[in-house]
Amino acid sequence: MEIKYTIQGLLIYITMAAYLPAFVATIARRTRAGRVLFFAGFALAVISFVYRWIHVRHVPLQNLFEVFLFLGVACYPISWFCRRALRIGGQWADMLIGAIVLFPAGFIFNAEPMQLPPALQCWLFAPHVAVYMLSYVFMLKATFQAGEHLLNRRPRVEETVIPPEQATYELIAIGFPLLTLGLVLGSWWGKLAWGHYWGWDPKELWSLASWLVYVGYFHWRHMSGTKHPRINSLWAMMGMLTILVTLLWVNLARIFAGLHSYAT
Amino acid sequence: MSQLKRMLLWATLVAVILLAGLSVCGAFLGAERAQAFFNSLPLVVYWFAAIALLATGIASFRRLLRVPSLLLLHAGCILVLLGAMWGSEPGHALRKRLFGIDKIPEGELDIYEQMQEDRVVVKDANDVRRLPFSVRLNDFRMEYYEPGRLFIWSRDGRDWRMPAKAGQTLALGGELGTVAIRRVFRNFRIDLREDEPVAYDEPGGSNPALEVTVDRPGSAPGKRYVFERRPGHTNPDDPLAMSYFRAVRDYVSELEIVRDGQVVAAKDIEVNHPLHYGGYHFYQQSWNENEFGEYSILMVVSDSGLNAVYGGYVCLVGGVFWHFWGRRTLHWFRTHYTITAKIPGESQ
Repeated sequence: MEIKYTIQGLLIYITMAAYLPAFVATIARRTRAGRVLFFAGFALAVISFVYRWIHVRHVPLQNLFEVFLFLGVACYPISWFCRRALRIGGQWADMLIGAIVLFPAGFIFNAEPMQLPPALQCWLFAPHVAVYMLSYVFMLKATFQAGEHLLNRRPRVEETVIPPEQATYELIAIGFPLLTLGLVLGSWWGKLAWGHYWGWDPKELWSLASWLVYVGYFHWRHMSGTKHPRINSLWAMMGMLTILVTLLWVNLARIFAGLHSYAT
Repeated sequence: MSQLKRMLLWATLVAVILLAGLSVCGAFLGAERAQAFFNSLPLVVYWFAAIALLATGIASFRRLLRVPSLLLLHAGCILVLLGAMWGSEPGHALRKRLFGIDKIPEGELDIYEQMQEDRVVVKDANDVRRLPFSVRLNDFRMEYYEPGRLFIWSRDGRDWRMPAKAGQTLALGGELGTVAIRRVFRNFRIDLREDEPVAYDEPGGSNPALEVTVDRPGSAPGKRYVFERRPGHTNPDDPLAMSYFRAVRDYVSELEIVRDGQVVAAKDIEVNHPLHYGGYHFYQQSWNENEFGEYSILMVVSDSGLNAVYGGYVCLVGGVFWHFWGRRTLHWFRTHYTITAKIPGESQ
């Protein structure tokens, strides 16, 4: 763990310093103050992402540092969309997620700029990674809702939001098409770059496993979801577990060395 | 829900969980062993069972036939599986036996500049087979990110890096002094002229190098050459080690397809931009050099089954988006923007 004494590092720390008080304010029922701080954090996260983009001269989605920077940006718009369009609560969780995803970018992952290797110089690079990351944020939000459901907690602030189990389904229903698109775009890109649309690489297999867990979620919920709603939430949490392995363990553990190793 | 439908749903759930579990196990095997595992006989049985299950599901659940998005995404899965089977090595072998269609599933083609080649080393088969046409390599080149980087290490474990540009200096601090890059060579050569070694850049070849001076306090500046492709020799008393690195931006092979003496296709292939001709894709895979010079290594892959797989992808993605996003969006618009007609005579 190291502190980054750079403009990039400073921007990340200030963003975290906005997201965390936003979370505390929302928990303390200062909803308005929380939203203002959350938006301020988002604006800073955008500046941080654009700064990185200019610095490295390509879409900054190449390695884990840049991916987590992007996740820090994506939290606010997704949270706003879920609150306004889907009536899903838990904005406190979004603020916390924002701070959590920026922590590895600020303190753990190496921010050394890297030149794009030939395989990454493809127009599919940015959409493939961005679509996956957006789906991950939806699935992470779904996991928080599933946790609320399992703990039998009621929405804290908003009274008009939908129940956690229903919210979990809505979030997965929004995130799953993105997860599917990410998988298919990756496969198409693999064909262009490596000659095979499916290479049986550890990252590919883990991403297939996470996609299948959500496929299982939909089938289970259709079959027995009303009888055993708590198992629905367990499925959602299992999905997030496989996503975490796909995103982090596969890239960081040496046992999963493969074609996606440059993302480390 | 009828007993049959319930059984089908349970079977689907078991199949999904089984494949997820096998994928996790496969991830621990590594790509090559995982590929062998997923192409083994028990898994072939599984793939056929999965297709049968999907088809039975479509036939049995009226909802899957009535809701186009659900039909599309389930049919997409079937297409992907069928296309993958058609394009697999056993699929190629079966087609050869049944229909006499003989295609190379996958192989490697090594080719020197200005040469023509039609022999492909078949993957995992110790066999050389011929394509029904020839491939000519007009030129092969590597493109680099400029400038490269000079890496410097001291014996006490510290390290530095600097852009490999003429005129760049870096103060290392203390007794290590200052490193300066004087010249950048694309093709380094050195000759003796009037008993003095003279370094110069010779056009045409490739031997990238840097001329570097190290200025230590209390001693005269020392000159050295740092090469990209050769480690060079280091004096045991030298407190600094250096290395010159340039990241490859692209590999480019200028290819032509020659059939019956005529050029029928041409393309400069690079990573992410293969050439497609005669049922094969040609990929820039690697390069190497030997006593005869540099040669490009191309990967040749049959395109059998690819259209079915891509068609399946379109159905799957289209179906999933239509089902989860499109229907919701339509519903949202209908509930938020309902048109209310004014009834004549009704009071304001």
